[in-house]
Amino acid sequence: MTNDPGLKIVIVDASPLRAAILEAGLREAGYVHVMRLAEHSNLLARLHAIDPDVILIDLEDPSRDVVEQMFQVSREVKRPVAMFVDQSDSSTIEAAIEAGVSAYIVDGLKKERVRPIVDMTISRFRAFSRLREELEQTRTALEERKTLDKAKGILMKMKGLDEEAAYALLRRTAMNEKKRMVDIAQSVITAAELFK
Amino acid sequence: MRRLAIGFIPLTDAAVLVAAAELGFAAAEGLEIDLHREVSWANIRDKVSVGLLDGAHMLAPLAISSSLGLGHVRVPLVAPFALNLNGSAITIAHPIYEAMEATGHDLLSGLGVAQALGDVVRARQAQGLDRLSFSTVYPFSTHTYLLRHVLVAGGLDPDRDVRLVVVPPPFTVESLRSGLIHGFCVGSPWNAVAVEAGVGRIALLGPEIFGWAPEKVLGVHARFAEAEPDVLRRLVRALHAAARWSDDAANHAELAQLLSAPQFVGLPADMLIRMLEGRLNTTQGGQPREHSDFLVLHRGGASRPDIRHASWIYAQMVRAGQTEYSEDAARQAQAVYRPDIYDEALGIDAVGPSLGDPVNTRFGATSMPKNSQD
Repeated sequence: MTNDPGLKIVIVDASPLRAAILEAGLREAGYVHVMRLAEHSNLLARLHAIDPDVILIDLEDPSRDVVEQMFQVSREVKRPVAMFVDQSDSSTIEAAIEAGVSAYIVDGLKKERVRPIVDMTISRFRAFSRLREELEQTRTALEERKTLDKAKGILMKMKGLDEEAAYALLRRTAMNEKKRMVDIAQSVITAAELFK
Repeated sequence: MRRLAIGFIPLTDAAVLVAAAELGFAAAEGLEIDLHREVSWANIRDKVSVGLLDGAHMLAPLAISSSLGLGHVRVPLVAPFALNLNGSAITIAHPIYEAMEATGHDLLSGLGVAQALGDVVRARQAQGLDRLSFSTVYPFSTHTYLLRHVLVAGGLDPDRDVRLVVVPPPFTVESLRSGLIHGFCVGSPWNAVAVEAGVGRIALLGPEIFGWAPEKVLGVHARFAEAEPDVLRRLVRALHAAARWSDDAANHAELAQLLSAPQFVGLPADMLIRMLEGRLNTTQGGQPREHSDFLVLHRGGASRPDIRHASWIYAQMVRAGQTEYSEDAARQAQAVYRPDIYDEALGIDAVGPSLGDPVNTRFGATSMPKNSQD
């Protein structure tokens, strides 16, 4: 697949990090005209001025409806855009939507010229949400760890247990009550607050 | 319990869907509705298209434009239930409204507002000033056709004399304040939000333009309607019960409270109840303007999708230059509206077509497509 470095690409994304990741990817792939728009005000006029060949936009951005105004030929729109891919290519649309992005191209542009851009966008969006999920998991794990430590501390102090015994007590209670240890730990903390 | 994922946009007219999902109407039909709050009409269409959503709160014209493949990939949709009629209003920035008052036209009449706006635009043209900009929420929306109707009635060409743009509802207040737009036509409660923010005043309520205009429908993929007709009928029954409950004034306080929750519309209940009751403040702290049909959720047979409304929408698309008339497309547009599914679900006999203007045009030219004027 040969890339078409001359294409003008606009990224509309309120997440600067994700937009930067995508832009870097596109530049590495040889595209030189890549622009990012994070501001919503007067989006249509700005798109009009830039006159892009391809618009990549975050699915959770309300401005998608503004971009879709460009479907129509009017005085405001020099070149109408269409959603990427034709009827036969519904799998790409599906993949894009599931990845959280949508791509619009100028009408008449050949599918092969845009295909690598769309494919890269989908994969970068996916990678970004994987990263975010991992970050979220790490954060949750850290929070849970803190809760466990706090509950252990309370048990050690109130029941005169050592750390190992406090941990064992939490684990046994969780097993008996068929609950997660972190939930038991949270109950211990709540109860301790009440008895303060 | 069959689970359904249903999308909605945070607007007052998502009321029937929210009531169906939250107040037991869906459960009574063995359905569990998971409501998904969406940020754009494009998302609503695309997620229904790829099956991430089973159905959605949808602009009636969007259901038709998608089915006709206007501007994008064709997505065949089916509308077996009308979620509401009316509910929109036109808000104008203060300085423009003041100029309209100075024209001497009667701004309490719809035609007067249209003529005053026409005069203001022509006066600006004579002075060589910039064109005024007006926004709607989506090109294929009743809001677009309301606005265009008013402009035409005021002797203007909507494509030359003004600029029509799309601004998502949450950005309308800021856009009006900054002068990016000079007025807009959107659904409730966004006109009231702009009035309370002091950036504009309501010039016309939707039903002062068209007394009985199609607005949102339940839109589902044709594939779903074919594959699971029984589930769809149960959904229609649940919505019917929810709509009847929602339209009862005795329930408006509870409904407004429910809608005000952050996961639904997320705006104050006292503002939402005024929308349900049709009492809108046209200016900040001013006298409310009332209209009993400001938002129609069920009464008068409003829930039954009226094929003539589909025809009317198609005629507006042609009138607006969004598509060229073809008999084939006119038929396809009609086929999106499915009163047959509604009738079957509720066990009622099909009613014959009504006559006359299906939207009760209050002023200006009525328009229907060629084939229905035969």
